[in-house]
Formats: sequence, C-alpha cells, structure tokens
Amino acid sequence: MQINDLENKALWLRQELWKMVMRKGKGHIPSAFSCVEILIALYYGGFAKVFPGEPKHPDRDRIIVSKGHAAIAQYPILADYGFFDKSELTKYTEPGGLLGMYADFRIPGIEGISGSLGHGVGMGAGYALAAKSDQSFHKSFVIVGDGECYEGSIWESAMFAAHHNLKNLIVIVDCNELCILGKTDELLSLGDLKSKWMSFGWEVASVNGHSFEELLRAFSKVGSKSKKPLVIIANTIKGSGISFMEGKAEWHNKIPSPVELSQGNAELGIVEFE
Amino acid sequence: MLDNDPEKKKLMRDVVIDQIYNAATTDRNIVFISADFGAQSLDKFRNELPDQFIHAGISEQNMVDLSSGLAISGKQVFLYAMAPFITARCYEQIKCSLSAMNLPVTLIGVGVGLGYDHSTLTHFTPEDIACMRALNGIEILSPSDQKSAEVIAANAVTNPAFRYLRLERNAHDQIYNDEFINCLDTGFYEISRGDRVAIVSYGALLHKVIEARDDLKKAGLEVGVIDLYRVKRINVHKLFEHLSSYKSLLTVEEHILDGGFGGAILEALADNGLQMKVRRLGLSDGFTVVNGDRDQLHKFYGVDTGDIISAVMELEKN
Repeated sequence: MQINDLENKALWLRQELWKMVMRKGKGHIPSAFSCVEILIALYYGGFAKVFPGEPKHPDRDRIIVSKGHAAIAQYPILADYGFFDKSELTKYTEPGGLLGMYADFRIPGIEGISGSLGHGVGMGAGYALAAKSDQSFHKSFVIVGDGECYEGSIWESAMFAAHHNLKNLIVIVDCNELCILGKTDELLSLGDLKSKWMSFGWEVASVNGHSFEELLRAFSKVGSKSKKPLVIIANTIKGSGISFMEGKAEWHNKIPSPVELSQGNAELGIVEFE
Repeated sequence: MLDNDPEKKKLMRDVVIDQIYNAATTDRNIVFISADFGAQSLDKFRNELPDQFIHAGISEQNMVDLSSGLAISGKQVFLYAMAPFITARCYEQIKCSLSAMNLPVTLIGVGVGLGYDHSTLTHFTPEDIACMRALNGIEILSPSDQKSAEVIAANAVTNPAFRYLRLERNAHDQIYNDEFINCLDTGFYEISRGDRVAIVSYGALLHKVIEARDDLKKAGLEVGVIDLYRVKRINVHKLFEHLSSYKSLLTVEEHILDGGFGGAILEALADNGLQMKVRRLGLSDGFTVVNGDRDQLHKFYGVDTGDIISAVMELEKN
C-alpha cells in the first residue's frame, strides 16, 4: 500500500474503533488511537506476513499487542483479513460475542492474552526462540506501552532476547508519555528509554509513531545484518485523532458525553452510526 | 523388602530430570529451562542436549512468559527452580501466560514445604498448595519417594499438561516399588488399611505418618494411611469410597492450614454431603519462624510423629 492508502486505512481503523467502543461504552480509545499507525503499518505496510483467512498459517508473523488496553485496535483489522465475521465487531463485549475489552487467545489472529502488562515481550521471545530452533523464518512483533516499561519483567525479557540474538523479535514501544494518573516523566521518570534498550543489547530506532514514512523506514531495518533484536521507540500522542483527548491522561478510560460524542464523530468524519 | 541403602537413594530432582532427559534424546521438541537451579542429572542434560536446555537467568517472570510462546509453538516445556521462586515469585505470569491458555507446561519446584529448613521463610513454601491450587486447570503432584517421583515424571513426559510438580529437596526412604504405577488414575495410594482412623498425607510428612502408624500398631491401634499425592484433581469419588469405613480422618501437611491440603479435603467432603470427624495438622496462621533442622521444625509446628500419634489417640476417643 502507498502512504496515502495507509493514511486512509488509519482513518478507517479509528472510525471502526470509535463506533465499536461508543456503541457499548466500553474500551480505551486513547490507548488504541495512539498505536493506530503502528498497527496499520505492520498489517498493511508489507512488513508483517499476514495470510488472509488463515490466522494459524505456520509462516505468519506473530503480532502481539502487549499493552492490552489497545488490543481492541486489532479487531477491525483481523475482521478485515477474514479471520472472523465482521458482525463480531457489533457484538463487542456482548455475551456470546467473540471480542472482549482485552484480547484473548480464543480470538483468531490473537497470539496471546493481554490485559496484564509486561508479558508480551517474554511471550514474543518464546515465539522467536522456537522459530529460531525450528529454522522457521517468521518474526514476532510486540507492541508495548512506555508505561508498560515500568514492569520489571520487560527487562528480564529484553536481556534474554539480546543474549539469544533474537533478531526475529521486534518490539515497538508506543511511547505516548502517559499512564493513568498523568505524565510518566512527572510521576516516575522512565529515563532515557532509547539508551536503556541499547544498553540491554538491542538495535534501537526512534520514530514519530504517527508518520508512516518514518515507521516504514524503521521497519525496513527488520532483517538487516545485525544479530540483535530491534526495538522501535515510536513517539506518539495518546488519543491521537480526537482533539479533546490528545495528550490528556484523564481520558484513559472515560467515555464521552453526547456532545463530545458528536464532536468526535465530526472529527473522524462519521455521519451517523447505530 | 525395600532397599533403603542410602548410597542408592537418588534425589527426586535427579530421578525426574533423568526421565525428561530420556524422552528428550528422541524428542527434540522437549525443552528444559532452569532459573539458575541445578542437579547432577541436569549437568548431563546440559552437556548432551545443549540445544534443548535454556538458562533463563534468575528471572522467573521471563522464564514463564517465554515458556508460553514456546509451548504455543509446539514445544513441551519443563520449568525448573527452587519451589518458592517458581510459584509465588512468578504467580502472575503463571496465571496469565499459562493457566489462562491452559498450556502444557510443567513447573518443577524443588524443596517444598520446610525442605530448606535452615534457610527459613524465604525458602519455605507454606503457601504453595493454597496459591497453586487456585489456578484454573492445573494439576498438582507431590511425590514422597524416588519411585513415585519417577512414575509421576514419566507420566508427565508422556502426557503433557499444565502441571506443578512438587519435589522434596532431600532423598527420603523408599516407600514404593513398581506398584505405584497402578495408582496413576486414582491419584492416591492406600498404604495401609485401619479400623477407625485414617490419616491422609503426602510428600515428606508421609514418612512421619508411616512412623506414627507403626508406633500405634505396637499399641494395638490399626490406622489407615493414604498417600494423596495428587493434591489437585482429587478423585473425590474413589477417595471417599476408601474412607467410608472409617469413623474419623486426620490430615497432615507441611503447609499453612488456610487453603491447604486438609482444607481441600474438607471442601471435597462438604461438596459431597459427607460427614466425618476431621482433624487437620499443619502450620497455623501466625506461625513464627525459628531456626532448626526439618525434624526440629516439625516438632515446633506440631506436625511431628508424636503430634500425629496424639491426634490419632484423640480421634480414637470419639
């Protein structure tokens, strides 16, 4: 896909997510919107191998959204790839429906379980190590939040992946600088994430996480000559795409009022939805 | 006669790892991961099957998360560490990355209960049965000698499932010969039949229970002894069939009484509408930590042979 098409796809994903969440009043829009471009670049930018209609294809790349609040952002994409029926999107969180507020192993195309932070990198390292030992060429992409990097388990896994030269493991840090109570820098500084990952033995790239041009350039490093695993620090804006949510911690799990809902609809170009 | 020559007593961990090693030589999907915990048999495994051994570092959280990715990719994974560190230390990871997806990973914990006697509380697991048995879908197995450990390990290798294997730190006298294999389905072994009181126990304390039984026999009392080695997935129906002829029951555990082994049996009794006088021996809430070897600790916590005998005598009075 060309950049223009990817941008259209990103708008489509925001619209689908907005409708899905607003219909039920459940879900975390700002966390999901912060990594929309990352996911679109991965799934449609030609870097991750996805096999339409075949969620269990052995050669697929494993994509794990470890920051579970944003895992709902995979749902419209997975439906688009024919992994389950699109009608599931309207049944989101309903009893009998497939899709919940956090992604789950039962959902075709979801490679793990999320909702508790700090598990995805270790699990991804497991996938990557198995692939390496089986001489299989698929890769594992794990999206973590910067707030998730508070979890010590992330660093245990980072050390492990570097020691084992898991170059088939790619971590993308969705770095929106916010956690529930406010700005990470003010609450408990994460320090210089770039040097931290580098000192753990990773290749590090730093990009604007909403720029397809920069994301695609960073993804093109995947599979380079380096033996090291790659981390892409993607600088993002939490709530990106909805002006009144952007960069505001209090919107983490708040559902808009009717007036705000109309404003959101207008900003996303949604005329009406049921 | 059972052979209790100390020279021939192998550690449970060696017996178990040898079983895994034997299978791993022909199945390269078997992966053994240690969080910096060793064994003589593991040295052989590491040397001869280096591609199937992973040192996780002293990083139990990553070890468990990693195993989930490996297991989903078709590997049969065995995780190995000292018991407190492979249970409570990484409980969250076990819950989310293994239990939630019911992955066939075996957790092997060494030195359960008060096994690391002089190391005291950080190395004890007075809570592991309670916390592990609350995990959805897990099976918990607690062998009491090398033969039962061998049979349980061989079965775990052949039938992959989400399991916690509780191993004793030290070598204990042999209780079983090959007959142990016959109780894999039931999950318990009736060691002896008695008149009015039955004692149900497992692991290291089973040896003290057998001692107590022998002493009581000299005093003319025949007590029943059951080794309920499968602590979770109790075969309630079969167990109560065996217990139905007794008037009362004594449970003996090297664990806090809250949510533990005796508690599990009480729950099963209540759920099945069965009434029986029950007394539980174990560590009480508020227990304090003291120095001492395991026998001294058993006395201090009231789970030693003498305590078992007194408890049986009490029950006999009723």
